[in-house]
Amino acid sequence: MALLPKQWRNLTPQQRETRDFYLMILPWLIGFVLFTGGPVIYSFIISLTNWTGMNTRDWVGLQNYVELFTVDPLFGTVLANTFIYGTVSVLLGVIAALGIALLMNQKVPGISIFRAIYYLPSVTSGIAIAIMWGWMFNPRSGLVNAVLALFGITGPTWFTSSQWAMPGLILVSLWGIGPNMIILLAGLQGIPQHLYDAARIDGANRWQEFTNVTLPMLSPVLFYVTVISLIGSFQIFENVLVLTNGGPGTATRVLVFDLYQNAFVNSRMGYASAQAWILCVVIMVMTWLMFRISRRMVHYEHGA
Amino acid sequence: MRRLRRAKRLRRMINVLLIYLIAATGAIIFVMPFLWMLSTSLKASNEIFVFPPRWLPSSLHFENYAEALDMLPFGRYLANTLFIVIGNILGNLFSCTLAAYGFARLRAPGKNILFLLMLGTMMLPLWVTLIPQYIMFSSIGWSNGFAPLMVPAWFGWPFFIFLLRQFFMTIPQELEEAARLDGATTLGILWYIFLPLAKPALATVVVLAFIGNWNNFLTPLVYLRDSDLHTISIAINRFRGQYGGTNYNYMMAISVLAVLPVLTIFFFAQRYLIQGIVMTGSKN
Amino acid sequence: MANKRKLHFSRTLQVTLIAIFALLVTGQVFAQDPITLTLALHWEPSFQPTQEAFDQAFMERHPDIRIEVIYNTWGDHNAIVPTWAAAGELPDIVYTHGSRATPWAAGGICANLDSYIEATPEFDVAGIFPVALAQYQYQGSQYALPYDHGVILLGYNKDLFDAAGMAYPDETWTMDDLREAALALSIPGQQWGFGGYYNGISLAGEGGVSFLGPWGGASFNETEDVLLFDTEGSRAGLEFWYSLMAEGAIPNAADVASMGGGQIMYTGMDAMWAMPSWETPAFHDNAGFAWDVAPWPTGPAGRVTGAFGSGFCITTQSENPDAAWLYLSEYLSKEGMEFMWGSTGRGSPARQTAYQSWIDSELAPEHASYYLDALANYTVNGRPFQSVTGPEIMDVINQNQTLLNAGEISIDQFIANVMEQSAPIFAREQ
Repeated sequence: MALLPKQWRNLTPQQRETRDFYLMILPWLIGFVLFTGGPVIYSFIISLTNWTGMNTRDWVGLQNYVELFTVDPLFGTVLANTFIYGTVSVLLGVIAALGIALLMNQKVPGISIFRAIYYLPSVTSGIAIAIMWGWMFNPRSGLVNAVLALFGITGPTWFTSSQWAMPGLILVSLWGIGPNMIILLAGLQGIPQHLYDAARIDGANRWQEFTNVTLPMLSPVLFYVTVISLIGSFQIFENVLVLTNGGPGTATRVLVFDLYQNAFVNSRMGYASAQAWILCVVIMVMTWLMFRISRRMVHYEHGA
Repeated sequence: MRRLRRAKRLRRMINVLLIYLIAATGAIIFVMPFLWMLSTSLKASNEIFVFPPRWLPSSLHFENYAEALDMLPFGRYLANTLFIVIGNILGNLFSCTLAAYGFARLRAPGKNILFLLMLGTMMLPLWVTLIPQYIMFSSIGWSNGFAPLMVPAWFGWPFFIFLLRQFFMTIPQELEEAARLDGATTLGILWYIFLPLAKPALATVVVLAFIGNWNNFLTPLVYLRDSDLHTISIAINRFRGQYGGTNYNYMMAISVLAVLPVLTIFFFAQRYLIQGIVMTGSKN
Repeated sequence: MANKRKLHFSRTLQVTLIAIFALLVTGQVFAQDPITLTLALHWEPSFQPTQEAFDQAFMERHPDIRIEVIYNTWGDHNAIVPTWAAAGELPDIVYTHGSRATPWAAGGICANLDSYIEATPEFDVAGIFPVALAQYQYQGSQYALPYDHGVILLGYNKDLFDAAGMAYPDETWTMDDLREAALALSIPGQQWGFGGYYNGISLAGEGGVSFLGPWGGASFNETEDVLLFDTEGSRAGLEFWYSLMAEGAIPNAADVASMGGGQIMYTGMDAMWAMPSWETPAFHDNAGFAWDVAPWPTGPAGRVTGAFGSGFCITTQSENPDAAWLYLSEYLSKEGMEFMWGSTGRGSPARQTAYQSWIDSELAPEHASYYLDALANYTVNGRPFQSVTGPEIMDVINQNQTLLNAGEISIDQFIANVMEQSAPIFAREQ
C-alpha cells in the first residue's frame, strides 16, 4: 500500500479500512465489470424482447413475465419441481456430507483411501457418470433395487414413474456430495482441540460435544455449503436431461431444463431469459433469507 | 488399573471397527459407479448391452484403452487441460484470497450489497449468459482460444471468494489485532497470519478448482473452436455420438484414465487438508 | 567511422526494404492467398479420419482452398451454432439436423441455396430423393441439402425367429402378421415380440408416421397447425399398439428402462423393432445376435413409414459462399456421399445413385435394399419439421407419450391432453 498517493495515507482508520477493502476486492470488481456484468445486463434486456436467439428481436416489455405467470400452463409445475428438488436434495445432501465428513475425520489408519472413494463419483466426468446412473437405477438389474431387494423391498421403476422419478434424481444427487464433504472436512480441521478438551473436562458426552463445539464452530462452513448447494441444485440440468428428460410427463421438468428447451429448441431466447431472471430472484430471496436466519445461528469470530 | 486400561483399549478397538464397518458400507455404494465404468471400459462392444448386465466382462479387452487413446491426440489434450487447470488454480488463489479477506474482515460502505451482487452472478443459469458472454469475448477477439477460460479466474470466482471468506471469518480476531498494533499492513496480515492458518481452505480451493476445470466441458467447447485446443473432457463428450453408435467402452476407458490425475491431486492435497494441529497451536 | 557505419546501416535498410516490397508484390501476383473454409459438424472420433481423408483430397483438387473442421459434440451443436450466429462468427458450412432446418432458415442462419443449385446443373439436385429435399425447404426455397435420409423399417432378430421355428418377416406382411408374430414371440417380462422405436411406442416425428400412418392416422396435418390424434385413423393405430403393450408383446416404459433405455434393441430380447437406417452401424457393433430388416408392414390404409435426416447448409455469414458451395457440391455429390457415408456404412445416402454403395457396405444389413425401396415408394417425413411451433408441440406430445407408455394415462386421456395442451401454443403463433 506504500505506493499510493500521499493524500491517501493520511486517513482515519475507518477511511483506511474502506480504502483497503476496495483495493482488496478490486480484481473481482474489475472482473465483474469486464466479464460478468455485461452479459448479466444483456440477458435482462433480452428478457424484455421476443428474441428467437437468431434474427427476430422486438421489444415486448414485460410480456414474457406476464405470460409466464398467467398463460404458461407448465410454469407452476416447473417452479414447484425446482423447489422440491432444490430444498430436499440440499437438506439431505448437507446432512449426508456432514455425516461422512465426521466419519472421514476419524484418525484411523487407511481413512485416506475411504476419503478418495467417497470423492470418486464427484470427480468423474459429467456425461459418463450420468449414463452410469441410468444403469444403477435400472428397475430390474440396477444396483439400487438389488440393495432394496436385500431388505425384501420391491424397488420402484424410478425414472419411468411419475411418482419415483423425482426421488430418484434426489438420490442421484447424494452421490455428488464429494466437494461438500471436502469443504466440511477442511472446516473440521479449524476447530481447536482445546475446545474439545474443555468440553470433556466439563463432562460432555459425544453428542454434547457435537452440538456444543462441532456444530457452532463448523457453522460458517456449514452455512457456506448450504448456500452454495442451494444455488447449484436450483439449477440442476444435466442429470435431468440424461436420466429423465423432464419426464415422465412433467414430473421432473425443472426450471433450467424448461429454460434450455425454450432457448435452444423452441427458439424463444427472450422467454428463456425471463425464466432465468425469475429463477435468479427466487434463489436470491432464499439466499437472503438464509443470511437473515444465519445471523442467529452461525458463529463467527468477527461480527462482520 | 490394568483391567481398566484393557477395557479402554477394547472400547477403542470396537470404535475403530465400527468406523471401518460404516465407512466400508458407504464406500461400496460410492465405488459402484466407478467399478461399472471400469467394467464397461474392458468389454467388447457387443457385451455392453447384454441382459442381465455382467459385472465381469467375459473377456478383458485392454486394447479398448489403446484404441481409444489412438483416436484423438490425447497427449495434446492433456497439455491443454493442464494449462487451463493450472492457470485457473493460480488465478483463483491470487484474486479470491484478496477479495475474501476484504469481505471477511474489512468494514466499508457498500460491502453487503457488493457481496450479494457477487453471489447473484452465480444464480443466472449459464444458458442465458452463454450468448451474451460469447458476443463480448468475440468482440475483443477472444472467441477461439484459452483466454476466456483462464483470464476471468484471475479476477476471482464467487464460489471460492465466498468459501475463503467463510474460513477467514473463523480465524480468531485477536491475532489480527495484535499484528495491527505492531504496525502490520492489511496485506501483511493476510500473508503472514491468514494464509498459513487457512491452508486447509486453500487446499480445498486447489482441489475443487482442479476438478471443476478438469471436468468443465461446455464453455471450453464453445471457446475452443480449433480442435487442436480441445481438452480431455471435450474428447470424452465427443464419444457420445448422434446415433446409438456411441462407443461406450471407449468413452468409459478415457473416463477411467481421466479420473487418475484428479485422484492423485486429491491424495497429495489431503496432507494439507487434514492438518488441524497447526491451527489449534496458534490459538493458544 | 560513426558516419560510415550510419551510411552502411541505411543502405542495408534500403536494400532490405526493397527486398521486402518486392516479395510482397510478387507474392500478391504469383501466390493467391488460400481461402480458408470452416465447417462445423459433430462426428464422433471414430468417424473423424473419413472426414479428414475427404478434406485432404478436396484440398489437393483445389489448392487455393483450405478446410478447417470444427468438431462440436452431438449434444451441444444445436446450442453452439446460434451462439456463433449472434456474435457474427458462424463458420461457412454447418451441419443441420432435419429438426433445425426450418428454425435456422427462418432465423437467418442458413442461406438460400436456390441460385447455386440452379447454376450448377452437374450437382444433379434431381438425384436427391424428393422426400429428403423437402425436409430443408422453407418458403419454397432450398436452405440446406441432405446427406443422409433415414427410413424406419421392421428390424428382426433372426436367432429368435429361428428358435421359434417361424418364418422371417417379408414384403407380404401386414400389421396383422406383425401382431400375430409379436404375440407368439413374447415371453412375459423376458422377451418382447416387438420392441418399439427406441423408448417404446413413438407417436410424433418419424415414429408417428410409422406407428399411425398404416391406419390412415397422423400426428400433424400437412401445414402442421392442427393435431390429428383425435382422428379415426390415429385412434385405430393407438389402439393397435397399446393393446399389444397390454398383452405384454411391447415393452412398457419400465421394461424399456430395465433393458437399458433406448438401447433395448441391442439386448437381443426383442424379436422385432422399428429400425431406422441410421442405427445400422450401432447394430453392427453392439448386437450380439443375427438380425436383418424387412419392409414396414402394410396397414388397413396401406403401406407408409416415417423418415428423417440430416444435412448441411451454407451460413449467411460465410465470407466465401462460392467456395463453400464448391465444397458442398462435391461433399454431397454422388462420389462425395459414396465416400463419406455410403461405402463406410455410416449413413444411408440421400441420393439414389449413391445408395448402392451403402447397401453393399459392411455395416448395412443383408436386405438393406428394402430401405431404397421404401424411400422410392412409401416414405413420408416425420412431422413436425416445417413450423416454428413444431418443437414445442412435439415436446407436449412426448411428455404425454411417456405417461402413456408408463401406463399412467389412457389413450383417451392422451388424446385429450395433447389436444388441450397444444391449443395455447398454436394460438400464440396466430
